[in-house]
Amino acid sequence: MTRSIEFWMTMATALLLGTVGVLLSVWGNPENSGICVSCFIENSAGALGLHDNGNMQYLRPELIGFLLGSTASALAFRDFRSRGGSAPLSRLFLGIFLIFGCAVFIGCPIKLFLRLSAGDLTAVAGVAGLLGGVWLGLRGLANGVELVKPSQGNASGGHLIPVLFVVLLIFLFMRPEFLLFSVKGGGAQYAPLSVALAAGVALGALAQRTRFCITGSIRNTFLMGLRTPALWGLLVFVVAAAVSSMVSGRFNLSLYGQPGAHLEHVWSFLGMGLVGWISVLIGGCPFRQLIKAGEGDADAGLVVIGMFIGGALSQSWGIAATAAGVSLYGKVAILLGFAFVACGSLLYRERSR
Amino acid sequence: MNYFRILNTAFALLMLLMVAGCSSEAKRPVVKIGYMLCNSEEETMQRFKPLTSYLSDKVGVDFVMVPVDTNDFEKRFKNGEFTFAHTNSILYVILRENHGAELLASEKRGKFGSRTAGAIIARKGSGIERLDDIKGKRMAFGPMLAPTGYMAEYDLMLAAGINPENDLAHYTIPSGSFKHEKLIYGVLYGKYDVAAAPILDIENMTRDGKIAADDFVILAQSVPIPYCTFASAKGTDPTLVKKVKDALMNLKPGDTGEADGEVLKVLKAAWIDGYEDLLDSDYDVIREMAKRVNMPPYQKY
Amino acid sequence: MFRDFFDKSCWGLLAVALTALLAVLLVDAANRDGKSARGSNKAMEREMAYHARVELINKLYGPVEVLRTAGRNQEALLKLDELNRRYPGEAHGHILQGLILQDMGAPDEAIASFVEGIKLNGDYVDDKSPLSRRREIQGLVDIRSKDVSARVAANPDNRTLAGLLQKTNYLKSRLAGGCE
Repeated sequence: MTRSIEFWMTMATALLLGTVGVLLSVWGNPENSGICVSCFIENSAGALGLHDNGNMQYLRPELIGFLLGSTASALAFRDFRSRGGSAPLSRLFLGIFLIFGCAVFIGCPIKLFLRLSAGDLTAVAGVAGLLGGVWLGLRGLANGVELVKPSQGNASGGHLIPVLFVVLLIFLFMRPEFLLFSVKGGGAQYAPLSVALAAGVALGALAQRTRFCITGSIRNTFLMGLRTPALWGLLVFVVAAAVSSMVSGRFNLSLYGQPGAHLEHVWSFLGMGLVGWISVLIGGCPFRQLIKAGEGDADAGLVVIGMFIGGALSQSWGIAATAAGVSLYGKVAILLGFAFVACGSLLYRERSR
Repeated sequence: MNYFRILNTAFALLMLLMVAGCSSEAKRPVVKIGYMLCNSEEETMQRFKPLTSYLSDKVGVDFVMVPVDTNDFEKRFKNGEFTFAHTNSILYVILRENHGAELLASEKRGKFGSRTAGAIIARKGSGIERLDDIKGKRMAFGPMLAPTGYMAEYDLMLAAGINPENDLAHYTIPSGSFKHEKLIYGVLYGKYDVAAAPILDIENMTRDGKIAADDFVILAQSVPIPYCTFASAKGTDPTLVKKVKDALMNLKPGDTGEADGEVLKVLKAAWIDGYEDLLDSDYDVIREMAKRVNMPPYQKY
Repeated sequence: MFRDFFDKSCWGLLAVALTALLAVLLVDAANRDGKSARGSNKAMEREMAYHARVELINKLYGPVEVLRTAGRNQEALLKLDELNRRYPGEAHGHILQGLILQDMGAPDEAIASFVEGIKLNGDYVDDKSPLSRRREIQGLVDIRSKDVSARVAANPDNRTLAGLLQKTNYLKSRLAGGCE
């Protein structure tokens, strides 16, 4: 395993993700949110005017960097292939529920481990939920659930999402008036644009080459045990983040008083559980969906669109949790998400005769 | 004939069930709660009937309200006339120190939660601007066992070097009911120059539009001290005490109790916001005040 | 993609559309003269509305602040009560109440008031906001949190103290930051 270049590239990706994930907070991103795909999507949706929470409106350069870095890497290594066309509406809705799950936990799987490595013990329930969700997804796949078929064929449209993100990049630099920027709150906390963009591009490119994915790492570990490089990548990510947190003085081992965290552990568990389950069924966590969309996967592109819609609705409808706890709407959203996926598992299952 | 036999049997069974129901109700123990009169007996009964009914439902005993004048409270408590007591904080301290009463819950009401303060007030524009100005003036106090209507203000004056017995023109305590409101109105309409007014009454009267916030100058105000308190007599069944405490602590704005055939919201009827679990040590501030002012249970003759 | 007349027409149309787009953007940029492209600047409007709100709040609650500054805290509380009845649900009232109660030696009640205010509007712990009272709230939390924890440890069954600890922890979490 250690002889393969793939292994070392995965370690490098994980090391960079963990270190940069903390450094971006040091350089200006919100506490424990140096990298958080769901928070970035909510912020970017706000910047585009899709919701009106004045504290969460900023077009995150990291998000654009992830996708375009993946595109650049895919084009450079001739990996870019427009493909897709499988279960588009299902993917759209799954993308929405994916963000709902993250919004109730207050973070994506990357932020989950960043919080954990910063000593935030409220993330433990989220980790347990994510593991449970991935396991549930694997059980579903093993029992013939095929909510969405893998992306195949030469479906056109795979280039549209990268083109869209190029347009967003132009918006970021040109700053048209319809683009909103928070002057206070989480949306007003950001690392310098060039630094954030460069970090996003680098991570996007590396993640495209290595196929690094948090939920994928957990899935592979369940399937292949300790042999999989992905598990070691996950561990390196966590250790790198923990060391960076300690060195930067941001490590605070406690259940209480953690930034952007609530104490409703059951809903943290369920939120991440939903994320884990959906991620396995659609082939990757929110970060991985961005990377795949950058490579020309139109199906992942639709998930990304769904995530933007989910990000907007999380803020507009009060689904997103806060330090005060999880709202009724958040709880309803999670339970509806589980019901949706459970229904899909029943309806779209290959049953042996 | 069979039909009549069946009917008779059914009727007998029904009667048996009804009687059984009656006798199970009659088995509920009766427990008395002594309620110290606040402004008047009528108001006290009106305020706390729904609460008493609520406690009966939750605890499974028949609580009976016993309205008691402040000055008679200690004697009647000592005589065992009631098991639970709802009093002000100085009376709780007296019952605790002299008779071993146990603290159950403290009532939340007003800005300071389960605490409130006493203030010395004068009418705005009367020329009395500072505490020193009250020397030689006419003052009204609340009843002597009122922690924020007498004790706290007396303490404030002593701390400022003013002797209420010597340095005032005279002081009086209004007679009858609603003493606190009477002395506040008394200052407003010039009957008294200054008064010892509980902050809670000032807050309530302002909220009800009876007075305006701008009508008075607050010359001095005590630190917040605990106020209305539920206590139990020493030796009361611990299970019963716990049930009553749980019922009080779990009270929510939507909880109801019956009063004279009506179902009313308990907290709203009682004019309170809930109950808090204070410690007996939280009442030490009352003890220290009582010692300084030479009040029961620490008075020296 | 350049085989027949139809292909060529599409290319031509594409070229015309892109050229026209560029021309429109360039001409507009040259003629804009600082004015907004859509007739109104949403971001500016929002900023002005926010500043107007802050001004209004300061004006409405000004008399309370004056009394507080003069040390007449109880009168400030009574005045605040009147305003709170007129504007229930306005976070500023809760925050001001917390500040006054803190001054009056009622820190536990101050914490409860701050929690209510911040739940309604997180600007009061945001340094970037003109409404920020972060310093005062942080100060209270720093002083009280050890004391509250000690009291809870000494009285583990006390529900009031448990509730107070929860509120203190909520303030600590909001002060720690994060995206909300």
